Amino acid sequence: MAQFHYLMVLAFIGSCAVFVNLGFKLRIRSKLKLFLMTDAVILLIYLAWDFWAVTKGSWYFDREQTVGLYLFARLPIEEVLFFIVVPLMVVLTYLALIKLSRASSKSENSNDLR
Amino acid sequence: MIYADIALNSVVVAIIFDLYLLRSQMMTRMIFWKTYLLILPFQLLTNWWLTSNKIVMYSEGEIIGTRVAGAPLEDLLFGFSMILLTLSLWEFFAKRFTRDKVAK
Repeated sequence: MAQFHYLMVLAFIGSCAVFVNLGFKLRIRSKLKLFLMTDAVILLIYLAWDFWAVTKGSWYFDREQTVGLYLFARLPIEEVLFFIVVPLMVVLTYLALIKLSRASSKSENSNDLR
Repeated sequence: MIYADIALNSVVVAIIFDLYLLRSQMMTRMIFWKTYLLILPFQLLTNWWLTSNKIVMYSEGEIIGTRVAGAPLEDLLFGFSMILLTLSLWEFFAKRFTRDKVAK
């Protein structure tokens, strides 16, 4: 089971994402293109940083606690998933809070909350 | 440049993108800070899991040594820059590629 330790935390964040998406009726699938554009930039920047840092030895991963698939023979596949699942959760949290603030303020003069 | 330098630079770069290049100006909106404050405890929880289990380990010379929830303080800077850049990009693309503003 140890090889799933990193994956477990991603599964937790991923299930939070599903729960928030359904619970707040955010219909993220209709904004999939928008998310893919956003995440493409995030993946490019942060995986490049990650790759560089791992090459340099700034941080390293326990091979026993990752599933064993690597990107460019260096980055555990979990790192790639991290930079997809976390930005997704960030966007969903943002959209849920916008929905909440709109629902709670009946007046239309709530532009400052956006 | 060690992790501490790059993490700090990533925050500066994210702020410059948000305020001047993408011009989403998320930092000036209350909703951004609410989102950040809501995500922060979950970042700490994730950091704690990854570091207390030694799934991710850091070289001593790369960090200043202060740790929050098991993880280097630098991770909070990295997290902030990624959250800011994600939402700033989201708003940037939403403005340009969404006709009916559903993304807002």
